[in-house]
Amino acid sequence: MPPTTLLRLPSLRPASASSVIRNGLPVCLRAFTTTGIGLAKQLPPRRVILDSEIEESFLKGSGPGGQKINKTSSAVQLKHLPTGIVIKCQESRSRSYNRKAARRILGERIEEIELGEQSRTAIKAREKSKKKASAEKKKRRKYKELAEAKAREDVEEDVEGEVEEGAIEHEVQAERLPAEEGSKGG
Amino acid sequence: MPRISNALIRHARSIDKLLPPLLRPCRELRAAQNELRWLREHAAKVASTRNAKVRDTLLRNLVLERAKGKPLQYLLGSEYFGDLQITCRPGVLIPRQETAASVAYLARLVRQAEELPPELRVLDLCTGTGCIPLLFHDELAATRKDVRSRYLGIDISRDAVHLAHYNLQKVWRQKAYADKSVTAFVQADVLIDPFDDQNAGMPCFKAALNHYRQPPFWDILISNPPYISPSGYWSTTTRSVRLFEPELALLPPPNPDASDTERGDVFYPRLLSIAQHVEAKVVLLEVADLDQAHRVARLAQDADFFDGIEVWRDWPDQPNDAEPVELDGFPVIGQGNGRYVLCWRAQGAPWLGKDVVAKAETEPLSHYSLQPTFIYRPPSKIPL
Ligand SMILES: C[S@@+](CC[C@H](N)C(=O)[O-])C[C@H]1O[C@@H](n2cnc3c(N)ncnc32)[C@H](O)[C@@H]1O
Repeated sequence: MPPTTLLRLPSLRPASASSVIRNGLPVCLRAFTTTGIGLAKQLPPRRVILDSEIEESFLKGSGPGGQKINKTSSAVQLKHLPTGIVIKCQESRSRSYNRKAARRILGERIEEIELGEQSRTAIKAREKSKKKASAEKKKRRKYKELAEAKAREDVEEDVEGEVEEGAIEHEVQAERLPAEEGSKGG
Repeated sequence: MPRISNALIRHARSIDKLLPPLLRPCRELRAAQNELRWLREHAAKVASTRNAKVRDTLLRNLVLERAKGKPLQYLLGSEYFGDLQITCRPGVLIPRQETAASVAYLARLVRQAEELPPELRVLDLCTGTGCIPLLFHDELAATRKDVRSRYLGIDISRDAVHLAHYNLQKVWRQKAYADKSVTAFVQADVLIDPFDDQNAGMPCFKAALNHYRQPPFWDILISNPPYISPSGYWSTTTRSVRLFEPELALLPPPNPDASDTERGDVFYPRLLSIAQHVEAKVVLLEVADLDQAHRVARLAQDADFFDGIEVWRDWPDQPNDAEPVELDGFPVIGQGNGRYVLCWRAQGAPWLGKDVVAKAETEPLSHYSLQPTFIYRPPSKIPL
C-alpha cells in the first residue's frame, strides 16, 4: 500500500465536507464499502434513490407459490422509472443481499449519468488508475512514454473492472436519456 | 411444462458439461447456471482437501441428486430467510421466500409502533425450522433495542423442534444480539383440543405451555400450518416438493368426514381458537391462495373477536397492481398470490399503524352487521 498522501486528490477535498452523511440513506452500504477512509472522504455522497422512483420485481415467475413449490430463484430486478435503467442481480442465494446489491449498483449507474466525471465510480476508477500509473512510473521510469500510454489504457480497463468488483452480476440495459446526453457528463 | 429444447441442451453443454442435468429441475439456463455456481462453491467449501478429484466427484454427485429433483436447499444445507441463513435438513420443510416477506413486513410495521408492551410475546404455531420467530426477532431487534421480546415456536415434529433449537443457537451466535429476548421451541400438537379427552401421545398446546412454564397470554400469533388439500397436493405441488419435503408439513391429517377443501382448511379454526385463548392482538396466518384467504378471513370474521381483517399477497410491501383490491370487504394488499390473512384487535391496531376502531358501545347495534367496518390506512412505506 502506498502512503495515503499519494492517494489524495487535493482538488476534490472541498466536496468532502458534505459527503459523509451516509448513514441515513436508504441504500444499505456498509457491507459493500470496500474503500479506505482516505478515498471515502473525497467521494460525493451516494445518490439517494427514493422508493417511489423504482419498480422492483423478484422475477418470481407465475404459478403457485408458498408451500407448493420450492423455488431457488432469488433474482431481483430494479427499474429506475425516471431513467429507465434496469438492474438485475442474482449473485447470491439471499434475496435480501441481492436487493441491497441491486440498489447500490443502480445508485452508481444513475450517478454516473447525472454526475459523469464527478461520480463515485469515476473517481474510484481514476484513483485506481492513478495508483497503477504511479506504480508503473516507479518501475519503469526510463520508459516514461510507454508508461503513460499504459496508464491511459488502464483508465478504460478500470472502469469495467470497477463494475465487476464484489462479483455482483448485473445487466444494465442501456436506456439513456437522449436529452441528458449532451448537457451532462462532466 | 414445455419440453427443454435440444438446442438449449447443446448450448448449455457448450458452456459447462454439468449444466444439462440441471436444466431439468431449473428449466432455464440462467437458473441452472446460478445453481451450478452455488453447488460448485459448496463443493469447494465442503471438500476441505485441495484434491481436485475429490471435489469434482462431490460436485458431480450433487448435480446428479439435484437433477433427480432433490431441493437445492437440502443439498446445500441451508436457505436464506430475510437476512438469516437458516439450516435445512431433509424431514423439515424448507422455509419459503413468501413467508419471509410477510413476516418481515409485519415485524417492520410493529417496530414502528410508538408504544409496545414491555415484553412483546410472539407465538409461532407449526414452526418447522423456527425461521419465523427468528426472523421476527431479527427485524425487531434491528431498530428496537428498547423492546424485550419473547418467542415460542411449537411443532408436532421432533426433528423440526431439534432443528429449530439448532437454528436458534446458530443465528444468535452469528448475529451476536445484545438484547434480552427469550426464545423457546416446544413439541406439541396444535390440533388437539385441550377440552377433549387427552390423547395419550402428544401434549396439546395448553399442556405444553403449562409444562414449560410459558406465559398464558401472547400478543402476536403467527402460523404457516399445513394447508394443501389432497387434490391440490397432487395437482399443484411440484414433484420435488412431493418427493422430498415432509407430507406432515404440507397436508393436514386425513379426516373421513371432511371434503377436499375442508381438509385443506383443518388448521384454521384451531389456530383462531388458540388466538382467542391466548388473547392475541395480531394474528397472521399463511394460506395457499386467494380462495383460501377468503375462507379464512370469513372464519376470522365469524369468530367475532377481531377489529380488522385484511389479506396479504406474496409481496405485501409492493403496491397492489392487480385485481382484486378488495375481497368481500377485506382489503387485499401487495403483489402476487393471496398468501396471508392478517387479523387485529384492541392494541394490535396501533401496533400495525391502523386506526383504532370506534368502541362498540358508541355504535348502534345495526352497524354491527355482518360486514366488518374497516377504517383502512395504506401501510406507510417501509424502508429496506
Ligand atoms: C408448512 S410447515 C411450516 C414450517 C415453518 N413455519 C415455515 O414457515 O417454514 C408446517 C409445520 O407444521 C408442523 N405440523 C404439522 N401438524 C402439526 C400439528 N398437528 N401440530 C403442530 N405442528 C404441526 C409440521 O411438522 C411442519 O413443520
